[in-house]
Amino acid sequence: MTTDLAALRAKLDAIVARDPKPAASGLREAPSRSDISLAAFETRERRIDIGSLGLEVVGHGAPDPGVLVHLGLRGDPPRSWEDILFLDTETTGLSGGTGTYVFLLGTAHIEDGELVLRQHLLNDLGAERAFVRMLQGELGRFRACASYNGKCFDLPLLRSRFVMALRAEITVDASHLDLLHPARRLWRGRFGSVTLRQIEESVLDDGRVEDIPGEFIPDHYFRYLRARDPTLIGPVLEHNRRDIVSLIRVTDRVASAVVAARAGRAPDHPPAALALARAFDRAKEHEAAFGCYESAYVEGDLETRIRAALPYARALEKRGQVERALSLVETLFALGLGTPTWRASAEARLRRLGARPSGRLAARRRATTAT
Amino acid sequence: MRTPVRFPARTSLEQILDTLEHDPAFAELVTHWERLPAKPARFAPFPEWLDGRVAHALRRRGIEQLYTHQAAALERTRAGKNVVVVTPTASGKTLCYDLPVLDAIAKDGSARALYLFPTKALAQDQLAELQRLSADIDIELKTFTYDGDTPPAARAAIRSAGHVVITNPDMLHTGILPHHTKWVKLFENLRFVVLDELHTYRGVFGSNVANVLRRLRRICRFYGSDPIFICTSATIANPEELARRHVEADVVLVDESGAPRGEKVLAFIQPPVVNLQLGIRKSALLVGRDIAAMLLASGVQTIAFTKSRVQTELLLTYLRARFPSPQWPPDLVRGYRSGYLPSERRAIERGLRDGTVRGVVSTNALELGIDLGALQAAVLVGYPGSVASTWQQMGRSGRREELSAAFLVATSSPTDQYVIQHPEFVLGRAPESGLVNPDNLHILVGHLKCGAFELPFETASGKAERFGTEDTAGVLAYLAEQGILHEAEGRYHWSDRAFPAQGMSLRTASNDNVVIIDTSGRDAPNPHKGNDARERVIGEVDRFAAPVLVHEQAIYLHESRQYQVERLDWENAKAYVTEVKVDYYTDADLAVRIRVLDEFSRSAVGRFDRAHGEVLVSALPTIFKKLTMFTHENVGWGRIHLPEQELQTTSFWLALPEATVRGWPKERVEIALAGLGNLLHGLAPLFLMCDPHDLGLAVEARSPHTERPSVFLFDMTPGGVGFSERLFRSLDPLLQRAREHLRSCPCGDGCPACVGPAYALGRDVRSAVAGLLG
Repeated sequence: MTTDLAALRAKLDAIVARDPKPAASGLREAPSRSDISLAAFETRERRIDIGSLGLEVVGHGAPDPGVLVHLGLRGDPPRSWEDILFLDTETTGLSGGTGTYVFLLGTAHIEDGELVLRQHLLNDLGAERAFVRMLQGELGRFRACASYNGKCFDLPLLRSRFVMALRAEITVDASHLDLLHPARRLWRGRFGSVTLRQIEESVLDDGRVEDIPGEFIPDHYFRYLRARDPTLIGPVLEHNRRDIVSLIRVTDRVASAVVAARAGRAPDHPPAALALARAFDRAKEHEAAFGCYESAYVEGDLETRIRAALPYARALEKRGQVERALSLVETLFALGLGTPTWRASAEARLRRLGARPSGRLAARRRATTAT
Repeated sequence: MRTPVRFPARTSLEQILDTLEHDPAFAELVTHWERLPAKPARFAPFPEWLDGRVAHALRRRGIEQLYTHQAAALERTRAGKNVVVVTPTASGKTLCYDLPVLDAIAKDGSARALYLFPTKALAQDQLAELQRLSADIDIELKTFTYDGDTPPAARAAIRSAGHVVITNPDMLHTGILPHHTKWVKLFENLRFVVLDELHTYRGVFGSNVANVLRRLRRICRFYGSDPIFICTSATIANPEELARRHVEADVVLVDESGAPRGEKVLAFIQPPVVNLQLGIRKSALLVGRDIAAMLLASGVQTIAFTKSRVQTELLLTYLRARFPSPQWPPDLVRGYRSGYLPSERRAIERGLRDGTVRGVVSTNALELGIDLGALQAAVLVGYPGSVASTWQQMGRSGRREELSAAFLVATSSPTDQYVIQHPEFVLGRAPESGLVNPDNLHILVGHLKCGAFELPFETASGKAERFGTEDTAGVLAYLAEQGILHEAEGRYHWSDRAFPAQGMSLRTASNDNVVIIDTSGRDAPNPHKGNDARERVIGEVDRFAAPVLVHEQAIYLHESRQYQVERLDWENAKAYVTEVKVDYYTDADLAVRIRVLDEFSRSAVGRFDRAHGEVLVSALPTIFKKLTMFTHENVGWGRIHLPEQELQTTSFWLALPEATVRGWPKERVEIALAGLGNLLHGLAPLFLMCDPHDLGLAVEARSPHTERPSVFLFDMTPGGVGFSERLFRSLDPLLQRAREHLRSCPCGDGCPACVGPAYALGRDVRSAVAGLLG
């Protein structure tokens, strides 16, 4: 059954119009192809003096594997800062899947005291295969990368593009530092959200004024594809560039916090100290862990204290300070604090430490109630 | 503690049937008693090329030979042909696909197969079956189900390592195809695609599945594989045609079953006339209840099928009243239908298998081949709407080579009355077709978007891709104009931030469901549970059915509990209900208007003009009636305040010559048309393998389009799924059956089984219709 074109269009109007339009569809306009001819894809490079970034750890000497563990490392620790490719992608959608294109890959690496920042931009979806082949060359020089939520977002998407275009694997994340989780550990308690934007504002003290919100980027790009107007893509490039620089600075902040804590200077925000203490515990760095627990316990508010008390007591115990461990748990317990689960563990711990909860404690509780 | 199950006297099914056959009171109800003899097996040896380890595993399970149809299916797939296997329930269809797949994997460990089942329950069953079989084989075979229940942690392993991936079309649509780059190993090495229960892939669901398969084949081509399709189907008139529509290539039919069959008694039951003048029969539900109760009381494990969710709940209530606790265990009879939550359904399936559940009342959710063990008897309350379903439901009893019985109890609906008086319609050759319309634009456009998301479409001349419709290029160009696609270097790329498969249901045309929320606990807070316990979702209905089922004040039934709809939040698709105890149920009416948009074809048949084309239907729910549970008396009514719904679809219509009704009073013309409409609407499903409510009816004393008295039968799915064209082509036999049925209906002036009840339509309705039909 062949329908004539007008009838087909009328039908499609009725069908397609029933679909809910995306929120930002107001941005869409009639397609027009400008005469501006652009390369199918391009690479923009910028070199920044590394001294201008105010980095304390990143780029200085060889990275300490013990510090890298705290930077969300999966895989073997890279031997030098120069071996790490910092990366961030801009895509045509946030939901993933084979119809989501990576149209911009921003990368940065350290070379001869400079930060080499490259942005690879796809100007024509039809040239995606060649674009990805070029990316393959770029990424292929590294076997370690750093990202912000790249494990769940950027790398799966890149992987998908590599399979679609070249049927090839990706190896740049053989070692991968994903800073999202370390950032969450350190700062979520303090600032609530740990989007890169929030961290810039609150931690790096470097908020953005004229930034394009991430959710508008796909529509900006689709308009750019049609209109080929460079002013449309400019804000996206700037957004990506700032993301990369922030990524490096966040990496440095996390690393600095770790280095400082190991030197006995725990983060001044007690919940962050507690989170770091736990991470040190997991990494079997007991000395550093102890310092952070202590700081969290001593500086923390009541809630942080309760959360810190048991692991802190265990750390004290390991250092032979059993009596102190006992007394701090006992005090919190006797005050009737904590959730039932916490109280159950506290009681178990007290027993293990040799207290007689029914004797000493009961007496103390009576005393507390009496007052 | 539970009361142990005690059955008064365990009577053998043979004895029960013997008693029934010689009981004169029962014989009055029986229009036909068919004793199908046992049939011996026909065997064929294992093919020589079958991998020795596979043959060995079969022997270890006591299988020394194949049934002839299994051997035939193996040889065809060996020759690289797509096949569709059509043999009865429990004939060993599974081996028809398991063996080629196991053989291929035994010979080449990289080979992969994809199994599609229409439901998750069937997938689970197949997984267990394949794992039992492969446990005996000395090869590495990893089989997994991949669906919404698969834990995220297990998914990566399944994607790369699974030899056989068992899933459903919905998961393929949203979870696999859009992420095909994660399934490279599967798609590169895909040797077989299995479509089980092919006949269920018809109508809206089938038209969607056909498009999902188009997308699957595009992706296979991209990765360089060209799988063979192995389909199985219940008996329908057009299995090859239906398979070809899905596979879009030649398909070979294998339909000579070599499987043995136990003896089976089929009884066609006509409930007695209660009111001769009104042509009203005793309710099929009550007759079905009596038969099922008699069987259950004798210890016969019985399954009863009803045609609707409401009926399932009613029958469950009735049967439970017959087997009260504490004398009987509370779980003796369970309900099972699509509105139930998966966990409830799994528990019932287990109970059936281990025997703690003795009886089940079900809608057609259970007719598909889930292995529940040996149920001995099936009671079908009402003709299930298709011969294929009838055989499948009857086949639910007697899965082993033992005597089994099936009782088909007719309702007073026209199809039921036709079938019960013409048992050869069921016993003879399959008369009905499984229809799909994959090129329905309403359905196709969504899949074209999904396809573009998965892989860009080639558009360059000479290489231009065709996706079903000849208009592929036109639709793609349109989507590009809308900005949804972007053309570059001879290809259309997806250029939208949305994920098109999301929120696009394969099962319904309307794409959204109304959720039913029980708020009974809201005013009585339960200190032991959180807030969540006070409001709970008990089910859902699709939006098109919602105005009729969950309008305000409707009585909604779930697990034989009654709920009254307190508030219907139409915007947000939520119906809030509270539990009630009342002695009535509700039934709602729709007012329908129709406008012809385009006439595809028209021709004359005798005195009539027939045509089919595109129409716009407007449906407005008007009132609901409250009917008493057991006597169906009208005890009240109310208005329904819901917006009019519009439906653009395809319709068949029949225009009558003006001369036929010349001189008739206007009222008689209206009565005659309504009666003729009821008659045709009632009988049309006999050809279409659809439920009567898949087809809409409208009559017009003078249609603005035909300018004559006209009857419209339209497809309830937007864009249509092929019913109207098939009716257009089958009008001769339809009219012939209509005349036949009108002559043989035992009622006086007209009853619900033929033209509709005379007491409601008018005393002369039957003669008026006869006047029209000539």
